[in-house]
Amino acid sequence: MKKLLCIILLICTFALLTACGEKTPEAVDEGFKPALDTETECKITVAGSYDNFEALEAEFDRFNEFYPNVQLSYVKLDDYSNMLGTVLGSNDKPNIFFSYTWMIGNDQYKTVVDHMEDLSDSALGLDLSCIRPGLINHDAQDRVMLAPVFSRTYGMLVNNDLFEKEGLSIPATWTELMKVCEEFRSKGYSSPMMGYSLKSSSSFMNTVAYPLFTATLSENPDALSKANKLDPSAGEYMRPALETVEKLMQNNCIDLNECDKIEDNYTKVILRFFEGDVPMMICTADTVSGTKKRESQSEAFTKTPFNYTFAPIPLTEEGSYFIDSPSIEFSVNKDCDNLDMTNEFMRFLITKDELNQMASVKRLVTPTSDLSLDSVYAPFGQVPAERIISPEELGITDQLTVQIRVAAFQVARGEITIDEAVKKYGSFE
Amino acid sequence: MKKTWIIIVNVVIIVALLTFVFFYSHFENTNTTQRQIEHFENTTITMEHVTENYLEGEQRICDVWARYINSRDMTIEEAISFIRISHVLPNASAHIVYRDTLSGLSTRARSDDPDEYSVSYARTGLLNDLNWIDGIGESINISRAFTNPVNGEQSIAFCNSVSVHDPETNELKDAVLLRVLPLSELEEKWVFPHEEFENAELSMIDEDGDYIIKGHSFKNSSFFEFYRSYNAADPAFTNELFEKITSLTGSLFMVNSRGEECILAYTPVEASGGWTLLNLMPMKDLNVSTQNWLLIGYVSAGLLILLVFDTAVMLYYNKKLQAAAAEAAAANKAKTDFLSTMSHDIRTPMNAIIGLTTIAEKNIDDTESVGENLKKISMASNHLLTLINDILDISKVESGKLNLSPLTFSIVETVENLVNLSQPMIKEKNIDFNFRIGKMEREYLYADQLRLNQIYINILSNAIKYTEPGGRVSVDMREEESDKPGCIRLIYTVSDTGMGMTPEFMATMYQPFSRQTDSRVNSIQGTGLGLAITKQMVDLMDGTIDCQSELGKGTTFTVTLDLPVADRQREDMVLDPMDVLIVDDDEILLQTAVDTLESLGLNADSSRSGIEAIGMIKHRHEVGRDYGIVILDWKMPDLDGVETIRRIRTEVGENIPILLISAYDWSEIEDVAKDAGANGFVSKPLFRSKLYDKINALLGTEAKSVEPENDYSDLQGLNILIAEDNDINWEIISAMLGMFGITTERAENGRICVDKMANAKQGDYTLIFMDIQMPEMNGLDATRNIRKLEDPWASSIPIIAMTADAFSENVTECLQAGMNGHIAKPIDIKLVIKEIRRIKEERS
Repeated sequence: MKKLLCIILLICTFALLTACGEKTPEAVDEGFKPALDTETECKITVAGSYDNFEALEAEFDRFNEFYPNVQLSYVKLDDYSNMLGTVLGSNDKPNIFFSYTWMIGNDQYKTVVDHMEDLSDSALGLDLSCIRPGLINHDAQDRVMLAPVFSRTYGMLVNNDLFEKEGLSIPATWTELMKVCEEFRSKGYSSPMMGYSLKSSSSFMNTVAYPLFTATLSENPDALSKANKLDPSAGEYMRPALETVEKLMQNNCIDLNECDKIEDNYTKVILRFFEGDVPMMICTADTVSGTKKRESQSEAFTKTPFNYTFAPIPLTEEGSYFIDSPSIEFSVNKDCDNLDMTNEFMRFLITKDELNQMASVKRLVTPTSDLSLDSVYAPFGQVPAERIISPEELGITDQLTVQIRVAAFQVARGEITIDEAVKKYGSFE
Repeated sequence: MKKTWIIIVNVVIIVALLTFVFFYSHFENTNTTQRQIEHFENTTITMEHVTENYLEGEQRICDVWARYINSRDMTIEEAISFIRISHVLPNASAHIVYRDTLSGLSTRARSDDPDEYSVSYARTGLLNDLNWIDGIGESINISRAFTNPVNGEQSIAFCNSVSVHDPETNELKDAVLLRVLPLSELEEKWVFPHEEFENAELSMIDEDGDYIIKGHSFKNSSFFEFYRSYNAADPAFTNELFEKITSLTGSLFMVNSRGEECILAYTPVEASGGWTLLNLMPMKDLNVSTQNWLLIGYVSAGLLILLVFDTAVMLYYNKKLQAAAAEAAAANKAKTDFLSTMSHDIRTPMNAIIGLTTIAEKNIDDTESVGENLKKISMASNHLLTLINDILDISKVESGKLNLSPLTFSIVETVENLVNLSQPMIKEKNIDFNFRIGKMEREYLYADQLRLNQIYINILSNAIKYTEPGGRVSVDMREEESDKPGCIRLIYTVSDTGMGMTPEFMATMYQPFSRQTDSRVNSIQGTGLGLAITKQMVDLMDGTIDCQSELGKGTTFTVTLDLPVADRQREDMVLDPMDVLIVDDDEILLQTAVDTLESLGLNADSSRSGIEAIGMIKHRHEVGRDYGIVILDWKMPDLDGVETIRRIRTEVGENIPILLISAYDWSEIEDVAKDAGANGFVSKPLFRSKLYDKINALLGTEAKSVEPENDYSDLQGLNILIAEDNDINWEIISAMLGMFGITTERAENGRICVDKMANAKQGDYTLIFMDIQMPEMNGLDATRNIRKLEDPWASSIPIIAMTADAFSENVTECLQAGMNGHIAKPIDIKLVIKEIRRIKEERS
């Protein structure tokens, strides 16, 4: 008894004493080994168009566990696309900046591209193999100037509890989608599907039309070539996509008036969905990334939370498409200060673990090869491999995306007919 | 209380103390933290004042420009030229932008085109809403951080509304004047004083929470977005937080992007329209001492050590208490056993005394039977006396009141007494007894003779007692040099061939009331106190006692004492040179005796048998060199001492003086030895002084050498005053002394005794035997009064205490009162006679 008491006392005292000690910082990533002096003091700036980039700021903190004296910051640039070239040449030039595939080969962004470092240079030690090959853009010299950090896809937020409440199943085919919309309408839901509709950029029209148009082009390499060249004859390839958009409108799946009440393509879309009376909200994964944080900002959702997922829209009888394209990509300003440390940060960031971690925080689709998806993206895991389309691999250009985006927007709003839109291919701006 | 409970109570106390320390530390920490937070808030407010002054200064410059432009009806080019001239800051610039087109001119050229000064804010969104720009001088009109469209630098701008002349319409056109400062420059200047709070960072937010100036630790584009990202907050709380931060001064706790708890101080920037200064710092950087944790650690460790120490001490004392309790229980049992034994042991001799007295009374006419009974009664009485003495001694030992009363005494007398006392038992058991004396230079020592005797007698009597008849007991005494100055080391060794002791008994043999349980022991009378008393006395005299024993083979006790040498010693003992023959079969004794004789100045030859001695004596006689004295041991193999004397007398003649040595009482052989031709007797051990005296006496008065032991004529006519209140005691002593022809007078108490002496004439009394405890006046006071008498004879009369107060301190007390000696009751008449003779000799 006495021995037991002594042992308990000793353990308690030891526990008390050890409780006074400080917690040992956890190793962030056992795989990452600092290559530079960890006491280095410098500043690294990442410039981008996001208002907030918490996921990246979390990575800054993780990187600081290796390099505590490196001050990393994210700065949002006003008028990003136009100002980027000027900023890269200024005294305030960032070390890393958001970049997009469409900048490559675009004369307007030649100065921007000129600042980009070739990330495939083996001397940098970046593990680009952790990224899905379809997301990586290789230029004519087979250089990699952009490293994808998030993947974008198109689909719809589904209120699963509402489907369950109304005794309906999530549609997997076009017919099922039409049927579900009809059922919802009959139950009093004026607009079973909704989305942002005020501007063509990020509008639900594009979200519906772009995957179909891309799928059509993927089946016809000649058509893709024409489309990329903005050949008007390629307008015909838009027809299936535009007809689908029109059918959604004509079948009253979407009430445009209701959609027009959504003032922006991000926060308002999410908050509208969180009202809880929208079975399906059409949007991109970029919008989905803001859902987690806004759950607490929505009084309706806080009051009556529900289960939701982001699913591909079943636009054909065969099911849906998973359009796997880069959302945000990082380029390194090769003329920046502290280039070594900048590359060291990129070496730290472009790893499967860190990209997955960042995608998880941001609630976006990871660009890494293991496609580690957040639970909200679970339905995309069921899309068969043959229906996953990578616009990067196909070589779809930005001008092409503008055509389908504007055409679908105008057709849906009834501003032009499908035939007119087909004819105007190449002239949309 | 059980040990477990004691430990639990200890643990509870420790936990209570630790809890107190913890809460006290926590309280102190909270106070310190609160003070630090207040200081942090105050510093933030101070920083707000500094910021405000800075912003006002910058705004004032913009205001001056705006007033000037507005007062001069300038075109936009003229206004820009004016500003360019008055602008001195190298990194700053100014823009004037028309409100309608949001385009205008810059004081500095575009970075990518040195000739291009145009600027457009159409796509930045900064100037879409200009409601935040108040009138000139009314407030600080500062923009949020934005990307300077001219050079791409992140900047802020102090703004004012101006009117510039439009040459095309010839009218004034509304425009916005922006005094643009690079954010990097501002950040370098606008830092929180690090000496105050390291790692504190400032930000400024507008009325919507968007950052105007953003510190590194602040995340997102809006502070409230930042707060919500890392801190749980429902919409209601967020709204409340928004209201609080944008309108009040205070602080709150929040978690930053690294998961660290931080303190955020906020205060409105008074001069601006709804801006708030924020100051964020991790809590760990507050200067709150963490020593309290150390304190708790130290207190914990200290209390634990205390607990372990207390527990160890408690266990130690518990063990000791258990041992003491066991010892006490054993002692109690031993006492109970002892009382039982005592009861038996006292009743046994009492039974003998009472029974034999009854028989004697019945057979009063049968002289022989009465004599036999009285002899047995005497033996039983002596045993009873020993028993009582031992009980008294051990009670004194146990109460710690046993004190030593040192006196000058003769070790020779002590040894003689020892031998004499042991003689009856030795004879009775027919034990081969040897008492050897080694080198003994000093005769008179200074010690408590009574206790020394007790030690020696106890050990010797035990040896004799536990030795079977026919066995052997040897005593060796020798003197060695002592480490103590003025002392000699007296080593007394008694060896026997008795029953021996078991190791178990030897471990406890010095404890009182212990007796070896052995069937043979039960037949031996004893109190079980002798060794305990002996050990205590040896310890008291700073000596050592050692015991070697083997069961069935025998025991050897060795007592070593360092005793002071008395001042009084015998004068040089040297005899005229002559040849002496010493004969003994004991080699050791023989050698010792030769050494002793030679130290007396004699030439000593030795022989180990009577036959050899006769040969040597005859040879000497034939050559005409007879030995001056022959000293013969009585008991020798082949030819004993008496027979040897007889043959010497027959074969050599009567002229050679012969002394017969014996370790035994020679009274039984006295007549035979005298008849054989012995000239005298000397008892073992052969002390130097004893040999000196005997040889002197033999050579001087050979005829008187044999003292008549039963001649008491010298006592005839003595008259002794006996102070004794007890009638029986008076009767006994009176009768006993009467047997020796001594007359007595009685004084019933001390006062009568004093009166008698005061009235006595010189020579009326030879001495006084004084009882101590008497009514009216005790013996001590009576002695003191007698010593104060005027008559010198009366005041110097020898007074001998005769009392039952037999302890050494009683003896000392008597001597200090002025008495000349002490005899303990019950009295031994031999000792009484000896004491009378001693006194008589001293007086003569």
